[in-house]
Amino acid sequence: MSHQNPLGTSVPHTSCLDLWREKNDQLVRQAKVAQDSGLSLRRQQLAQDSLEGFRGLLHSLRGLPAAVPVLPLELTVTCNFITLRASLAQGFTEDQAQDIQQGLERVLETQKKLGPRLECGLRGLWDSVLHYSTLLLEVLPALHHLAGLQAAVWLSTDCLGDLTFLLQTLNGNQSEASENLLLLLKTWSPPAEESDAPLTLQDARGLRDILLTASAYRQGLQELITGSLPRALSSLQEAASGLCSRPVLVQVYTALGTCLRKMGNPQRALLYLAAALKGGSTCGPPLLEASRLYRQLGNTAAELESLELLVEALNVTHSFEAPQLLIEVELLLPRPHPASPLHCGTPSQAKYLLASRCLQVGRAEDAAEHYLDLLALVLDGSESKFFPPPSPPGPCMPEVFLEAAAALIQAGRAQDALTVCEELLSRTSSLLPKMPQLREDARKGTKESPHCPSWVSATYLLQGQAWVQLGAPKEAISEFSRCLELLFRTTPKDEEQGPASNREKGCISDVVLQQLRAAALISRGLQWVAVDQDTKALQDFLLSVQMCPGNQDASFHLLQTLRRMDRRHEATALWWRLKAQTELPQENAAWSLPLYLETYLDWIHSPDREALLEEFQTSLPEPHEL
Amino acid sequence: MAGLEPRVEYLESFRCPLGGLAAGRPRVLCPGPAVFVSAGSERVSVYAQGGRLLAAVYCFPAPVWQLELSAVPGLLYVLCARRGIYCLSPDPESRSMNQDDGSDQDSEDGEPPCAVISVDPDACLLPDAALCTFTVVADKLVTLAQGPAHWKVQLFECPRPGEDARLRGQVGEVELSISSPLTGPLGEPTAPRFLPVLCCVSPAGPTALHSRAQGSGGFWLERALFGLLFGVDASLLESPVILCGLPDGQLCCVVLKTLVTSKLSPGNPKALVKILHHLEEPVVFIGAVKTESLAQDVEDTHPDCLVALGHDGQVLTIKAGWDGAGTLVPELREYRLPGPVLCAACGGGGRVYHSTTSELCVVDLAQEGVPSGDLGDPPSLLCPAGLGVCSVVTLSVLSEVPEGDVRLLALSTRGRLMTCRLQLSSEVPGPTRAAAASTGQKIKDLLSGIGTVSERLSSLRKAVDQRNKALTCLNEAMNVSCILLSGREGPRPISCTLTTAWSRPQLQDVLTATCQLENSSGLRLDRGWALCVRVLTSASASDADVASAATTYTIPVDRLGPGDRREVTLPLGPGEDGVLHLPLTVSCALHYSLREVVGGARAPSESSTDSLDEFRPDILPEQDGICLPLCEHTVDVLWCLRFPGLAPAHTQAPGLLGPLCDPVDTFLGSLLGPRSEPTGPASLRAKFLPPSVATIKVSAELLRAALGDRHSAGTPLDCATLQWLLAENAALDVVRARQLSSVQGVAPDGADVHLTVREVAMTDLGAAGPLQTVEIQVESSSPASLCSAHHAVIGRLQRMVVEQAARIPGPPDLRVQCLQQTHSSHETLLREVQTLRDRLCTEDEASLHATAQRLLQVHRQLRSPSLLLV
Repeated sequence: MSHQNPLGTSVPHTSCLDLWREKNDQLVRQAKVAQDSGLSLRRQQLAQDSLEGFRGLLHSLRGLPAAVPVLPLELTVTCNFITLRASLAQGFTEDQAQDIQQGLERVLETQKKLGPRLECGLRGLWDSVLHYSTLLLEVLPALHHLAGLQAAVWLSTDCLGDLTFLLQTLNGNQSEASENLLLLLKTWSPPAEESDAPLTLQDARGLRDILLTASAYRQGLQELITGSLPRALSSLQEAASGLCSRPVLVQVYTALGTCLRKMGNPQRALLYLAAALKGGSTCGPPLLEASRLYRQLGNTAAELESLELLVEALNVTHSFEAPQLLIEVELLLPRPHPASPLHCGTPSQAKYLLASRCLQVGRAEDAAEHYLDLLALVLDGSESKFFPPPSPPGPCMPEVFLEAAAALIQAGRAQDALTVCEELLSRTSSLLPKMPQLREDARKGTKESPHCPSWVSATYLLQGQAWVQLGAPKEAISEFSRCLELLFRTTPKDEEQGPASNREKGCISDVVLQQLRAAALISRGLQWVAVDQDTKALQDFLLSVQMCPGNQDASFHLLQTLRRMDRRHEATALWWRLKAQTELPQENAAWSLPLYLETYLDWIHSPDREALLEEFQTSLPEPHEL
Repeated sequence: MAGLEPRVEYLESFRCPLGGLAAGRPRVLCPGPAVFVSAGSERVSVYAQGGRLLAAVYCFPAPVWQLELSAVPGLLYVLCARRGIYCLSPDPESRSMNQDDGSDQDSEDGEPPCAVISVDPDACLLPDAALCTFTVVADKLVTLAQGPAHWKVQLFECPRPGEDARLRGQVGEVELSISSPLTGPLGEPTAPRFLPVLCCVSPAGPTALHSRAQGSGGFWLERALFGLLFGVDASLLESPVILCGLPDGQLCCVVLKTLVTSKLSPGNPKALVKILHHLEEPVVFIGAVKTESLAQDVEDTHPDCLVALGHDGQVLTIKAGWDGAGTLVPELREYRLPGPVLCAACGGGGRVYHSTTSELCVVDLAQEGVPSGDLGDPPSLLCPAGLGVCSVVTLSVLSEVPEGDVRLLALSTRGRLMTCRLQLSSEVPGPTRAAAASTGQKIKDLLSGIGTVSERLSSLRKAVDQRNKALTCLNEAMNVSCILLSGREGPRPISCTLTTAWSRPQLQDVLTATCQLENSSGLRLDRGWALCVRVLTSASASDADVASAATTYTIPVDRLGPGDRREVTLPLGPGEDGVLHLPLTVSCALHYSLREVVGGARAPSESSTDSLDEFRPDILPEQDGICLPLCEHTVDVLWCLRFPGLAPAHTQAPGLLGPLCDPVDTFLGSLLGPRSEPTGPASLRAKFLPPSVATIKVSAELLRAALGDRHSAGTPLDCATLQWLLAENAALDVVRARQLSSVQGVAPDGADVHLTVREVAMTDLGAAGPLQTVEIQVESSSPASLCSAHHAVIGRLQRMVVEQAARIPGPPDLRVQCLQQTHSSHETLLREVQTLRDRLCTEDEASLHATAQRLLQVHRQLRSPSLLLV
């Protein structure tokens, strides 16, 4: 190299500036080599080395007083350093803001204007720097590049006010009236870099395009969540037309699908979802969105099919793609939130969704299989792959067990249901209150009762039902009795403490407790009926009507029993009450019951209510005869 | 605690940094016959217990922070500081690392008996500079990385055996928030002082699960406690749970199976992370012990108590309990151990071994004696039993038999690997009930012992202070002695000047001397210094039997700083006989008393018989001080002459006043009126006795040279001479101001003395013309006064001549014949004096008067011609 040549008068003199420039270009080339390198480790090492190189170079440059001829190079090196650092860290931090601030201070240093501006923060710095930059034309391209990075930092940290201000200043305040970020970004045209400028990892125009896409997408997503759908649609379409990578495009299309679905355009939504599915490897969100769409359309088969596909898709481990060593749209997007429409969860969460949908729509066999698969996935410890439980936001694990048992009973696999229930009880036995003590307390009549999770009584309930199905009323009655024993000790708990912690501890709302008690009483009553113990059955049905006056099933069962026992007066009185109730408009249940309980309540639904009422009416004497 | 006496066996020494190993980073792992040791450096050593030798040494590119072994594929995972995690198979055959001969880099280490295998820096399994710790759970790798404002837990899948050593991708991630930011706003994150602690907890389940090997950092927990702590879901799923103890004191957990998240949805910390407790000091250890042994349930040997240790000694235990209604409730308890806790390990039966900076200790949490440290109360102090092994920085329990030996593997600060074998008999650990009774007494004894020691300490400290002070004083005394004894020319830095004055404190006039001690040196005369003034009365010829009496005054010099002066006034006479015996010799000296300075420092040693004391009584010299002479003055009659005639009427300056007259004389005198003659012996003598006269002639040249600058100031030589003679007299100022050449003064005994100085030219003596001389004439009516004044003048001239002898080139030319004549006549006169004196002794009363008259006459003749000094 020339600088090693002592007194090389024949060699053209190379200045320090040229050396530094050469170093910058070499580091940029090295980073690009790293980018293209396939081996992740080698890539990481090379990129890290480049980063250190840039850091050292920046250190050398800042060792000298700031001077206008050196500024373009210094700012370019700063930009490269920030770009590489942010892309290696996969995000922007406070460090980048500080790097930018130092760069700006160096610019002001050349103008001897440093000092009072410092307290204005980055915004004030930019204001003054851009004010002087009209005097420093040669610095302008690099400054615009740095401004692009600043915009990226502010976009990723949601400082939209600062960002708007910066863009307005960059655009020379021509469109001062405009607050529209997208418009501002579009009007911003960074000056073209000269051909002999030092190399950059990413030029300002490329950065501008990335910023445009990212802000359009962010804006669209935000509008989608807040519900301003037409604006969301236009923002998202803007993002889709912009420059972005395939995974981002899939997200944008999915968001467009969601938006159109909510706007009542299912066909257009489907088109976008199909486009998204063609787009790339990450097809979870579009599949989930498709299932929602089909559910809205009432196409259960298609809905379940998309859910099955979703489960499969999520099970495929997509290869880990190394991110580009550039500022990309992904870096500027908000972190996915579970509440976001694009959140598709984990395979087990998808599996749970599929299973519960099957149970809800009445595909009991499928539901049972899916539940068993899910339990196997989640519980199998020896499997090297972990599948997290669906919770949260789904139900807690005991409820998944209960739903599985319900599905199995529904599918006619009572023995399997018993196994599932036993597994649940055995796995949680250590957490349950000590049963001997419980009995003791009951005998003593101790007021304070131990807290027993609601799912324990629900398990006994389901076990009883399984025995019913197996034709063993004795066992069934004993299970129902255990269930009732627990249920009558349980006091409903406030849900104010937070639903998550309550669910975790098996706390139970008033409504659910009532329904559970009614269900258990009706089930036991039915079993008494089955073993011809009408008196006991009558007791249980009466009690259940008292417990839960709104539950018409209890009343119907009571009516039937009364009729069978030939207690006409009581039956008639009950019939009048029922008739009045059924004539009233059925109020929609504002509360939601756990899926297993809903399923259960279907089982004890008296099948032929209308017929019973009609039949009773004919046999009924006229009211005036009473 | 005799049963806890450990038997320590040193296995191997490892290189360690100069200050010793710091806790936190070194690790020992002993999964089987081989022991893996990392002593905080870049090396991981494999020590074969069987062969008792180093089997292999792996050299990593950065200091090793953490070691873990995964049992199933048998891989060693190593976290290197600021690099990432390396993974290698510790089996030397299947290793694909390049092998050095190890000769170049190990010269300082001596010859390692085994090969040093350096690990390729590029062979990193998980490069991440922010990683702080990790653990291996089955085939999952859980890492904890430090971010700018949070800790990040990440879950990776480990490579399967046979696959390329590369991670198969991240499975899940969640962030742990912290209260304070981990790094400053600028710069790279610094190495944390405390590393976080990560461990994996699994529920104790069916035996099938037991065989499933965990990483080396995991343990099982009894199911009730597990479900209680981590929830029913974790319990149902039988999911391992990752416990994180963070340096800010948080103890939080993440259910591992819930951590699996897709790439698009990182974990929601609120749903995934549960904070169990906050220790409020860095968590250094998380473990579990079994505290309750149920006789009927011997099968269940799983720990039922989670233990977390903070660096400063905070202990948190969590157990599952049943409340009054039979519901499971967590029992959190806090204790305190004497900290700081460097490392710890859990043993069987509730034993927690931990090492503080001073000792390896064991505390048994299963003991009855453990106080109930319920939350809300201040944490109660646990009393660990010391094991007598010090400075252990990392610890591992090798083997433990319920009723037998315990073997601990430990690495000391000095880098020594050792095994400690403890004999644990059942009743030994913890204070027993009988011992508890005596504990009170023991504590009392200990407290009184502490009291004694602290008393002794304070007295020793005082002694040291005193000695230091004494040494400082001695040093100053040395310096003072040096400058006073150096005998340099010029004025001494510490000087003493003497002036005399007459004062009349009572009816009698008293001659007082004022010594002024001036410290113009930079030193300080402190305690121990005293000014000694010695007044020596010359034995007068009249009472030869009275020995010359010396009086010494000692005045302590209390803190005479640089530039300070101190004045001391002493009476010189007249003594009890009413006679002032002149001349007096006054000598001043500084005395430094060693006894006063050093004696104080010796005091405490006399009360104790400490061998530390090096002061012995015989060290002090007999002469207990240093004496530094400052000055010596002879106070003669010229000092004490008073000149009433010179005093202005209105001044009462005592130096100029006449001597005090007898009040009766004054009274009578005033009665007789102005016409009467003055009475009193002096005036009578003056009236009836002709005044005696003595003259001394001094060569003017000699005087001029001696008086020097005093003469050159325009003063006539006679005046200057008189001023010189009266230099010490209080009347000097008046004499100088009036340019007197003759004064009439009063001697101390009341006789008047007339001093006259005039310049005369001697024509007969000079060989080359008349000789310029100064004639000093002393005239007094009292022969005694005359004699003493004459003597004083001659004494001064003598001293002057001695001083000037060297400087004057030589005597002027004299007529020797004339001198010889004078000399011979003086000799005859002296002979006559001798004979007259002899006659005085033998003659009777009648002829005595005549002889005396004659003697006086001869003396007068002797004085004339007067003494001539040239």
